[in-house]
Amino acid sequence: MANGWSLLVGFVVIVALSAAAYFFSPKGENQTIWRSTLILSFASCYIMWAITFLAQWHPLIEPKMSKLRPGYPGGS
Amino acid sequence: MATKDTLFRSASMSLTQLYISNEIGREVVSALGELGVTQFRDLNSETSAFQRTFTKEIRRLDNIERQLRYFKSQMEKANIEMRSHWDFDEDMLAAPQAAEIDELADRSEQLEQRVKNLNESYETLKKREMELTEWRWVLKEAGSFFDRAHGQTDDIRQSLDDDDAPLLRNAEAEEGRRPNGDVGQQQQSFAVMNIGFVSGVIPRERLAAFERILWRTLRGNLYMNQSEIPEVIINPEDNEEVRKNVFVIFAHGKEIIAKIRKISESLGADLYNVDENSDLRRDQIHEVNTRLSDLASVLRNTKNTLDAELTQIARSLAAWLIVIKKEKAVYNALNMCSYDQARKTLIAEAWCPTNSLPQIRATLQDVNDRAGLSVPTIVNQIKTNKTPPTYNKTNKFTEGFQTIINAYGTAKYQEVNPGLYTIVTFPFLFAVMFGDFGHGFLMFMAACAMIYWEKPLSRSKQDELFSMAFYGRYIMLMMGTYSMFTGLIYNDVFSKGFTAFESAWEYPEDGRPEVTAHLKGSYRYPFGIDWAWHGSDNDLLFSNSFKMKLSILMGWCHMTYALMFSLTNARHFKSKIDIWGNFVPGLLFFQAIFGYLTFTIVYKWSVDWYAEGRNPPSLLNMLIQMFLSPGTVAEGDQLYPGQATVQVLLVLIAVINVPILLLLKPLYLRWEHNRTAAKGYRGIGDTSHVTHALDDDDDEEGDTRHMNGRPSTDTDEGAMITENIHEEEGEEFEFSEVMIHQTIHTIEFCLNCVSHTASYLRLWALSLAHQQLSVVLWNMTLGNAFTMSGGLQIVMLVVTFAMWFVLTIAVLCVMEGTSAMLHSLRLHWVEAMSKHFIGEGIPFEPFSFKLLLEEDPVD
Repeated sequence: MANGWSLLVGFVVIVALSAAAYFFSPKGENQTIWRSTLILSFASCYIMWAITFLAQWHPLIEPKMSKLRPGYPGGS
Repeated sequence: MATKDTLFRSASMSLTQLYISNEIGREVVSALGELGVTQFRDLNSETSAFQRTFTKEIRRLDNIERQLRYFKSQMEKANIEMRSHWDFDEDMLAAPQAAEIDELADRSEQLEQRVKNLNESYETLKKREMELTEWRWVLKEAGSFFDRAHGQTDDIRQSLDDDDAPLLRNAEAEEGRRPNGDVGQQQQSFAVMNIGFVSGVIPRERLAAFERILWRTLRGNLYMNQSEIPEVIINPEDNEEVRKNVFVIFAHGKEIIAKIRKISESLGADLYNVDENSDLRRDQIHEVNTRLSDLASVLRNTKNTLDAELTQIARSLAAWLIVIKKEKAVYNALNMCSYDQARKTLIAEAWCPTNSLPQIRATLQDVNDRAGLSVPTIVNQIKTNKTPPTYNKTNKFTEGFQTIINAYGTAKYQEVNPGLYTIVTFPFLFAVMFGDFGHGFLMFMAACAMIYWEKPLSRSKQDELFSMAFYGRYIMLMMGTYSMFTGLIYNDVFSKGFTAFESAWEYPEDGRPEVTAHLKGSYRYPFGIDWAWHGSDNDLLFSNSFKMKLSILMGWCHMTYALMFSLTNARHFKSKIDIWGNFVPGLLFFQAIFGYLTFTIVYKWSVDWYAEGRNPPSLLNMLIQMFLSPGTVAEGDQLYPGQATVQVLLVLIAVINVPILLLLKPLYLRWEHNRTAAKGYRGIGDTSHVTHALDDDDDEEGDTRHMNGRPSTDTDEGAMITENIHEEEGEEFEFSEVMIHQTIHTIEFCLNCVSHTASYLRLWALSLAHQQLSVVLWNMTLGNAFTMSGGLQIVMLVVTFAMWFVLTIAVLCVMEGTSAMLHSLRLHWVEAMSKHFIGEGIPFEPFSFKLLLEEDPVD
């Protein structure tokens, strides 16, 4: 479901959202604020997500548990 | 120039001259104050405050203001609430007619007289009451002394034989020896015996000194009796509570009595007459009591009248205060205008946003029409080489963010305003450090509550800390929102994880409890950090490496983004040399080193090292080796083929761009200067000659006009110069100065590329600290309670939840939030704004009643 292509798919989604934000921002004196805020938010969130995804794409270390009960999937 | 004003740049401003007919000067300025978009320039800066045209009016208004403040202080004294100015209609607070001001002046004068009179009489009556009360006490206490003294006559007689009996006692005894039990006769006897007495009251703390002084000066020739007054006497002059004592002093001889009187008066005692005769005393007490009760009713009446008067005033005091404040501001603004005696016109110069000019014209037309004047008010745009003030129009959402930027410095006129991108980047970088869904949600809710109850909260009194949070409520809203997002990315909610998606890791069943997870296949956790890491032993190892790289990448993005605005600025100011001499070399230098570092970070992540059978190389060593030994990459440390060549190239680019950054701009400027000098031109900025472009219809009258007492000599076109605008703004070109400036810039930029990138590591440190702190808090409180069992668990759950919640709010949200906010603030002021911010602007301070009342509220 989620593999390396997600980065590109996510990018396309973000670009589409940004374009939508650009064109559908409410007109008036606050249009620039709407556009800038929405697009910059999308971009920042995408960067953050993409970095996190990349960091786990080809993991170099594996999670270790020393006290895991049987039948329990881990995590807390 | 009719472009829309946005937050991206400060609004375009025009310097305008207003020619206002003298009769409506006040109305025009007051209308402009309501509009609040003009900043008057002081045209009489040489004149002192006392020599200006409207000093008299301002003095008068000052007096009214003083009277109004007197009412306010009286109200506070009487505990009468002033009606809040929010309760008034808008039109009640509007600038009034001149006649209304006069009326208000008269009225406040009268009211002041009245309140003062009432106050005075109240105080006099109060004083009278105090005196009567004291007298009553003296009568009561002194009466009991007398009674006791007469009761003891028998004992005194027996002491006659003692040689060392005091004088007074002796005399008393002598008198008592008369075989006469009649009390009335005995009372007469003091006078017969030439024994006088003084009675009165004295503050308790002075009593000891009083006694000592009397004893010493009279060498013990007195007999003193005193007793405490149980009730507290209130001094009406300063409303202070004083505890007092009653005293009666008996002494022999007129002179000694006079001396005692003098001493007691000088020590602040009040003397009251008491009659020796007990019948007379009874009458006196009776009389004092009736007078006291009369006085009390008069006092009550006076107080009621005063309170009624003050309550009446309190109902409109706020409106009056506002009206007077506005009126004063209007006259202060009028004082900045220059006044043409001959033509009965006021000339004002003001900065205003170009886009507001039509609005201003319409307002002035309106005022003119209302006054029914045939002479129109002329609004005239003038060209100037003065720097216009920087004005970023904000609304309640953007205000807080713009304040963050303005706290650092005022942007140059029309340069890129960092306030626009700060709306997102500031709360986002905060959220990178504060990333926890739960904490973010708490902050979001707090901000929502403050926004929902915005109106009642803004009108109420707030303490300093809350008012700061309230001012930044929209910043908090954004911070909370992004913190929820980053919390989801970090997969942290109060230090626990969400298991929203299927994990990419699987812990095998065999070998438990100690197991190592393995990947399920090519599936990766789609959003944020896999929850399999939560609670694992090497969780910190993973998040450490992740967050460090995250902060470097974020920092690179933020700085590159900020650096791009220096290109936008250079293009806007049409300065090609800034693009080629500053922006391009700077960008190349930065990208050759840190752009490459971010590239390698991403590259290293996207390669499956173990599948290729290679060891992942250390990036830190790579970066160090890139500079220490360019051209060689050790076999095992290679990221990609051809790495050595690419790195040599990058180092070369970085090194070459330093001298370009250093020299290109100063040399170009020198060349340009020499070229213009060779063509015979002089410096720019010394040819400005501003004349008002009035259509010549009223220029024919008289040549010599007096402006501010200075004759205007420029008569050829009938143009006047309202103010000399000859101050040179273009400065002499000095190569050494430009060179020094550029050298500093170069050194600073190159060093800052390194130190600023390192500075973004604070994102790493703070987000790790925040996460670990919330883990520790959980384990110490609620985590402990969950390990218990039975009834104890139930009790402990309640107790530890309370502890956990309070500490979460106080430490994790408030303290950590403040620290993350300060770090984010620094990243903006230092790391981002230093890349493009020019500054040196003059803030726009419009003449606005709204701002005036916000700065100095009446209640």
